[in-house]
Amino acid sequence: MTNTLHRQGKVRNLKEDYIVFMTTAKGINRDGSGPKIQEFMRICLKYNPVNLGDVKQGNIHQDDIEIQKLIANLSDGAGSAAVFTDLDTVQKVVEELIQADLGISINISGLLDEVQECCRKAGITRHSAEHSLGFWGARDLLPEREILEINTLCGHGMVSFNFIRKMIEYVKLRRLTPKKAARIMAKCCECGAFNPVRAEKLLEKAQKGEFTASGKEVEE
Amino acid sequence: MEIDKDKCVGCGNCHAVCTMDVISLDEDGKSVVNQDECVECSVCYRLLRNEGYWPWMVRAIRQMLSFFRLGYLAEVDVCPTGALNPPVLEWPRSLRATFSDPTTIHPGTGIYGRGTEEIKSNDVTGRLRKGEAGLVVEMGRPGIGAFFRDIEKVAMALARLDPEFETQNPVTHLMEDTRTGKMKDEILNEKVLSAIIEIKVKLERIPEFLKVLEKVQKEVDTVISLGAASRCLPDGSLPHMEWVRKAGYTLSPNGKTNLGLGRPLFKEMEE
Repeated sequence: MTNTLHRQGKVRNLKEDYIVFMTTAKGINRDGSGPKIQEFMRICLKYNPVNLGDVKQGNIHQDDIEIQKLIANLSDGAGSAAVFTDLDTVQKVVEELIQADLGISINISGLLDEVQECCRKAGITRHSAEHSLGFWGARDLLPEREILEINTLCGHGMVSFNFIRKMIEYVKLRRLTPKKAARIMAKCCECGAFNPVRAEKLLEKAQKGEFTASGKEVEE
Repeated sequence: MEIDKDKCVGCGNCHAVCTMDVISLDEDGKSVVNQDECVECSVCYRLLRNEGYWPWMVRAIRQMLSFFRLGYLAEVDVCPTGALNPPVLEWPRSLRATFSDPTTIHPGTGIYGRGTEEIKSNDVTGRLRKGEAGLVVEMGRPGIGAFFRDIEKVAMALARLDPEFETQNPVTHLMEDTRTGKMKDEILNEKVLSAIIEIKVKLERIPEFLKVLEKVQKEVDTVISLGAASRCLPDGSLPHMEWVRKAGYTLSPNGKTNLGLGRPLFKEMEE
């Protein structure tokens, strides 16, 4: 899930993007973790995440996924994640996870100060945290900001730059609605870390002509 | 990935989906994969539903439509004839899928995706302790991909400063010698969507390592996503922040937080 470390966007966009996920450690708490992971997912599901998934089985936006079946099939060491769009809901999820005392490592990707405040309110001190130091190397190979913003919603890089451009064009030509296009992109991201709500908003901007597929932002 | 030319109708849906932009139309009007650049992520195969149409039928419809000067536009998430075939991969090409297809487990670490735990389980593993920082150097991300020959360049540059390469990390497992960062020769021409070099250093050495990365980044034909992590102090603050700032770099407002709910909680010996 380094996967979720380098999500791009302005602070106002990142305020709508929190990924709650769990990890088990080999030789420590992975064996027998299946039921705990299932409970983790049940708790997340109660709070209506905009995405939820497990890398082995896929996410809730894929065509053949039944949520209850997905949860029932989670086995030891599965990597599961849920995406929420507001901190108040994340706060409730965290409080319930503390109550549940599952004993597996729980992580949140999102605005670090806000997540820290969420921990404080829940009466815990965060254990460890990681920052992104941005993109280095041959940055001239990277596409425009909006494309990157959507691409990094799946840190495994499963939503290609060209596919995002194609979706922008389809939305502009009204062959797809922003919602449908965002859902199709979410299907690419197996583990369910993709935030379709953020993607939809970006596509709506594109539809309104606020930026083009080539990334040129239109002056207001 | 392989494309069955007997089935392919050249709709082009797989071209845009390809994470590496390495599928194109061949002279015969059918799609072909540049095998040198394909990272075997299989997203084309997973996303594009096989509609199961007969190729001859799709071709006939297209010909008929073109007679009336009309086009054939398949839905964006289908392969009309199921022409995509994920091949059985042998070493060292199999590495491409292990690093690029998130549904594949790394045999060494038992983890999906890039196969690393970093701080995600630090509450129970204690891999990063007081006074230590983790630097996570992800080569090829976002969306460009990296050959192991470039990954080796960065690993060797970092190795000169004698860091501790994380033992539970798939890239470390591929090193011939962790003292030099040299990777196994047979994998140097293998390309992956991304791979993570993970090191542990003393907090005060962060600037030194960033300086080395600053230099070596100019020698690679790919992008690097860099991350820095540490264990929080009792008041919840993060000691790596001071050292990254001292080195003149900016930290992202967002990142990853381990809440510390794992059990048994790792207990650090007081020195």
